[in-house]
Amino acid sequence: MATTTLLSPAELAYLHSTLSLTPPIRPDGRTATQFRPLTAETGILPGTNGSARICFADGTEAIVGVKAEVEKTRLSPYQDRNGRRQGSRRKGPAKSKQGKPEDSEDSGEEEDGELQDAEVKGSNDWVEISVEIPGYRDDDSSTVFLGTMLSEALLADGDFTRRLWINRRFHWKLYIDIILISPPLSYPLPLLSLTSHLALLSTRLPKLRSEADEDPMFDDDWAASTFIYPQTGEGSKTSATTRPPITLLVMAVGDNIIFDPSKEELAVADSALAVSVGEGQALQEKAAEEGTMEVDASGVDGKPGRALRLLSVRTIDPPSRLTPPGVPNSVNASAWGQGGAASKNPDARQAETGDVAGVWKAPRGGMKPAVLGAMVAKVLEKGGVADEVLDGLQGVELA
Amino acid sequence: MPITILPPSVAQEPTRSLYQDGSQSDSDSDGGVDLDGDVSMGRPTKRARRDEAIVTPGEVITEDPQWMRGHGTYTIPEPPQIISSVAGTLSKTNKLLSVRPLRARYTPEIGDLVVGRIVEVQARRWRVDVGAALLAQLPLSAINLPGGIQRRRTETDELQIRTFFSEGELLVAEVQQLYNDGAAVLHTRSLKYGKLRNGVFMAVTGTGGGGGVVRARRQAFTLDISSSGAEGGEKIDVILGVNGYIWISKHIEGEGAAAESSGPGITRIEESVGLNVYSSQNDSIPLDTMREIARTRGVITALVENGLRVDEEMVTKGYQEAVEMARGEGEGDDSLWLGGEKGKRLADALVGR
Repeated sequence: MATTTLLSPAELAYLHSTLSLTPPIRPDGRTATQFRPLTAETGILPGTNGSARICFADGTEAIVGVKAEVEKTRLSPYQDRNGRRQGSRRKGPAKSKQGKPEDSEDSGEEEDGELQDAEVKGSNDWVEISVEIPGYRDDDSSTVFLGTMLSEALLADGDFTRRLWINRRFHWKLYIDIILISPPLSYPLPLLSLTSHLALLSTRLPKLRSEADEDPMFDDDWAASTFIYPQTGEGSKTSATTRPPITLLVMAVGDNIIFDPSKEELAVADSALAVSVGEGQALQEKAAEEGTMEVDASGVDGKPGRALRLLSVRTIDPPSRLTPPGVPNSVNASAWGQGGAASKNPDARQAETGDVAGVWKAPRGGMKPAVLGAMVAKVLEKGGVADEVLDGLQGVELA
Repeated sequence: MPITILPPSVAQEPTRSLYQDGSQSDSDSDGGVDLDGDVSMGRPTKRARRDEAIVTPGEVITEDPQWMRGHGTYTIPEPPQIISSVAGTLSKTNKLLSVRPLRARYTPEIGDLVVGRIVEVQARRWRVDVGAALLAQLPLSAINLPGGIQRRRTETDELQIRTFFSEGELLVAEVQQLYNDGAAVLHTRSLKYGKLRNGVFMAVTGTGGGGGVVRARRQAFTLDISSSGAEGGEKIDVILGVNGYIWISKHIEGEGAAAESSGPGITRIEESVGLNVYSSQNDSIPLDTMREIARTRGVITALVENGLRVDEEMVTKGYQEAVEMARGEGEGDDSLWLGGEKGKRLADALVGR
């Protein structure tokens, strides 16, 4: 959502000039990579499977609730019930009533790792994300765009929906409700992303008691429930944890790359980018399952590896393009006597003026490929911003 | 450290005293807040210290007829009650009950120095956002013409109205007149007022809340930044609009709201109204000045976040303190950042805690 902020040309020119310095001077004194301090807590909504709240010091606040429901899996007529493409083995779409003979067949198959892998397969319909921004309609393009961006990052690796698989007939359906409580003081994408990250991290599903393809039965004991993203050392296959993705907002002014821009800063951005980053543990898991190179995968330089993976990159149209240009003194009719002949119609002249120092001019044209590359590299850098943010989020106590 | 994530501060447990209500008879002054039955969501029904407690809109403050209602309250005749109309703290003056709102919009008063932003241009006037409930208006006849010419505003001026101020532009003005509905009429007919450039804008809460800009003797002043090691004898102008809008900019000798008022009187105005009063072109600003402007902005943010008042004295002291702090820590990358813990330390140092 390009929250159009009304700023005067003189302000824009000043902000742009301070942000293009090296190092940039941001209006609130932060360094280029520094985030606004935030307050975070999880498990705030008792009725949900997982929830989180994040609050910026300026009062922007978001709440995310994750609710899971058991849903019957609809089988595609083109797939058999093992989730594979229909082959020679069976004719006609599989009807779900013939459970028993199937089971015996499957128990044979389960030894085969590859087959099981194909079987535990999710669908993107299993996750539903809704975003609510006060003052904007649900079907407003900007709200939809935010929701799509968040779900895109979450579903990008296809690994997430596999966690929602219960058995061949049932799966979890996850409803992720993202609500911004305060009016959007700045572009809310990073806030919403970090909040959903924490909410998903704290999401727990009840423990399954039924077996195989029975109607699912769950353990009543909430203490026995399992995290959807298993925590370190909690009986997961690998010791490492995969974690939900985060989406960071990055902007560029000149050659400077600035993280977590505030509203004013975004208003002078040459270009803005939403970069979604995940932890690259899926590869590792696969490697572990194959039983090879387990040692290699877990940690390249001693530290248990956090291989960052780029999930998606989206350009965001910065509001700076819509800002009104400043009028140089030379053509300013009300500063007459300063430059050349005073103009009767200053609006017509504005378009013609070139770059004048100290006069705001909205950026034109697209993003330079070099800048785009530098922005993505800066995010993915080892020990860089995404790394630090993930570390910071890890420190949040899960309720 | 690019990110700091704090645990939520523990909310103060309201003194929940459903039992006290019965046992403690409120015979004399503060009649217990008592709504009928259906609201029982753990709302505190009675508080130990009324001065610290927060009342919400619609909350019955008292049913005792001995009290008089003040600001932020209203009464209903049957049964006689005083009810809060805003969220805020209760204050008692003798037998007068009033509620001070936690945050409120700016209420203009004649003579206030305000910073405003043009949001609408009409035929003969501008509509200005000053943070009040209603937009203020600035008539075309209430501005100085460039060059200080004194004449009737003609149709040509009306057609060229956007060359003076257009949408989004900032100005500093004075409240000249108030309408019955509380809307303000502004004027900029002084050398001190006019369009703003060469700096940054910030909005804090104005009068009404706890921290924020307070009405003071001087709302606009010049800050000496030589103590920070800035070269070139530059200075910074700070305009603290009574409405909570603040402008921090480079100081230009003889210009701006903070300039000495020893200039020429209204009769000689044409000699001194600069030709670039309506310019939107920034001058070249030295790096040191930009840095100190950002620092000043940080100081004001820290003051507001810690609930301190914003006026000339606090800003000046806070600025010196911030410079000292930055020097003590060495000129690192983040010496300008005054949020979070650092802001708290700064505020503590200022009030001598």
